[in-house]
Amino acid sequence: METILKIENVSKSYTGHKALDDVSLEIPRGAVYGLLGPNGAGKTTLIRVINRITIADAGRVLLEGKPLTNDDVFHIGYMPEERGLYKKMRVGEQAIFFARLKGLDKREAERRLRGWFERLGLKDWWGRKVEDLSKGMAQKVQFISTVVHEPKLLIFDEPFSGFDPINANTLKQEILGLRDRGATVIFSTHNMASVEEICDHITLINKSRNILSGSVDEIRRTAGGNTFTVTHRADHDTFTTAVGTLAEVLGESHGIVGGYNETKIHIPKDEDVREVFARLNDKCGVRSLQEMMPSMNDIFIRAVNGTL
Amino acid sequence: MKKIALIIMREFNERARKKSFIITTLLMPVFMIGLMVAPSLMMLYSTSDQKQVVVIDRSGQVADKLQSSDEVLFEVNNTLSKVEACSTFGEDSGVFGILYIGSEVEQRDSVQLITNSSSSMILEENIAMQISSIIEQEKLKAYNIENLDQILADVATEIELRTFVNNGTGEEETMESTSSGINYILGMLLGMLLYMVIIIYGQMVLTSVVEEKSGRVLDVIVTSCTPFQIMIGKILGIGLVALTQIAIWALLVISASKFLVPAVFSADVVATSDIMLQSLVGTLGDTGYITTLFVYLLLFILGGFLLYASLYAASGSAVDSVQDGQQFNTIIMMPIILALIVMMSVFNDPNSPLAFWASMIPFTSPIVMIARIPFGIPIWEIIVSLVVLYGSFILTTWVAAKIYRIGIFMHGKRPTWRELWQWLKMK
Repeated sequence: METILKIENVSKSYTGHKALDDVSLEIPRGAVYGLLGPNGAGKTTLIRVINRITIADAGRVLLEGKPLTNDDVFHIGYMPEERGLYKKMRVGEQAIFFARLKGLDKREAERRLRGWFERLGLKDWWGRKVEDLSKGMAQKVQFISTVVHEPKLLIFDEPFSGFDPINANTLKQEILGLRDRGATVIFSTHNMASVEEICDHITLINKSRNILSGSVDEIRRTAGGNTFTVTHRADHDTFTTAVGTLAEVLGESHGIVGGYNETKIHIPKDEDVREVFARLNDKCGVRSLQEMMPSMNDIFIRAVNGTL
Repeated sequence: MKKIALIIMREFNERARKKSFIITTLLMPVFMIGLMVAPSLMMLYSTSDQKQVVVIDRSGQVADKLQSSDEVLFEVNNTLSKVEACSTFGEDSGVFGILYIGSEVEQRDSVQLITNSSSSMILEENIAMQISSIIEQEKLKAYNIENLDQILADVATEIELRTFVNNGTGEEETMESTSSGINYILGMLLGMLLYMVIIIYGQMVLTSVVEEKSGRVLDVIVTSCTPFQIMIGKILGIGLVALTQIAIWALLVISASKFLVPAVFSADVVATSDIMLQSLVGTLGDTGYITTLFVYLLLFILGGFLLYASLYAASGSAVDSVQDGQQFNTIIMMPIILALIVMMSVFNDPNSPLAFWASMIPFTSPIVMIARIPFGIPIWEIIVSLVVLYGSFILTTWVAAKIYRIGIFMHGKRPTWRELWQWLKMK
């Protein structure tokens, strides 16, 4: 697959704190690429380096094989995490202003924007002031302003934060639509559910480092083995004592139907699987055992804990 | 260029289409006229209470000749001593004060005004003048001149001085009549106007940069154009608002000069009035002259604003809140205040070396020069001053841009001077 954006050994330090430590990744053309990581991991810094808002201490960013220039950045669509709109301006005028800064002429900008406003249910807000908008609506306006010039590369920083589930879903559909029309989309998030639904590639950043990269299918396949859901009667302590260090507890829920508890475990070594089953059967009153496809959330937790 | 133009128009539209802009633009001239007329109206109609002053006159020459007025009422009471009077007419007596005149009027400390509350300059001057002239009269009488009153009336003289600018012909009709009084008022108005525009619109630049930065709008725009384009677009956009405002005022004043002044002051009214009014009407009615003044005003306002606006923009970029910007604001204000002080002294002698140099050095030049122009300044001085001013604008903008492009991405604590210096040197 052809690489559109390549990040090579990028490092960035702020006084007394390393925000990015030798991060490299390759983003395939036409991908929906998720940058995952806990808060403060360095996702936003990486995005700002790509946008040349922050200049990296070391490393470089290549767009289609050539070092990224200011002119390239001016064609990227970028939606920052903290939304920025001129409060006193009218919504429509503001969207036109942003679109024209990105190079659209006035008539074309208005034509496209009217369409977007109609589609996202903002039609009646065209002539209102930005300060009258609700937070969710302002975010939609920001989203539209980011994509209206149909850039080939789109970067969203935490696009779903602050959206209700219905609007978040609308946004997901729009992002997928943009990909289908040929755009490459990069977005950062710590919302794992959204990753499973729309990302085809991810990079997991933790403590300033890239700890896991690849296509979602591949990662799930390699990280997928030996995750089980156990339905049993034991309490938490009995259960953990029983499995000891052989298995890692990923999550548990108590008191499901019939007074059973459900615990999700991962067993790192293949050869331990039988042993663990034997112990559980012996100590915990197991009712059922089921192998799971791990969710990205499980992989995320295991990767951050260093047990992947 | 297209992007700069877009930013200019956005900044301009955001401000010039506001109701408050339209209202202030139209009300400002009314307000200015009010400000000039109000003090004299207040003088006319304010009736401050008549102050009662008890007079103790040991000389016997003054008391009965003192003239009471609306302002002060003299009451002679020679039976009391000074000490007794002070205790009798204390604070609760309703009496304003006691005027004590010793037996030898001209001796030091002989005339004293003892008041229960604070006195006023006008009152003190009134009393001193009256007593001086009474004593003068007495002395003249001692010479025993016949018909003294008539002689005095005969010798009283008042002359009128007309001032012209020499144009080599010596013909009264063709020489331009001037008046330092009118020039003073014009210079003052123009200088103050320029001062206000720089301060108000300069701070608008600072506030606007800070808001854009803290509202994170900047993160969006900066991925569409360069920091320099954003900064210069903002400065020019706000400058355009200022120029529009002045241009509207210029139109109002120029059309008043062309149509209103001739209508109100007909030729025969002017011919019979005093010189001050004549030259005032002459100046205001000279549409060409007024227009020239406004052209200069626009040139210096634009130059002065641009010079300072880039500094305001740099300051705004370095901080996260308008409050933090105050420290920089204070420093930027210093040369502006200095210019204002120099301007005041310029009126005494518009061609002094101080006046000359202050109107050449860019940070004071716009205000000082525009205040001098009504006095008639050689055109080369104006041109040199303008060239220096616009040249300095390019220099300060260059420096400001270096700080701006780094400042806008810095969040957190306010940078120190050392850090600012490092930003300047960064490639």
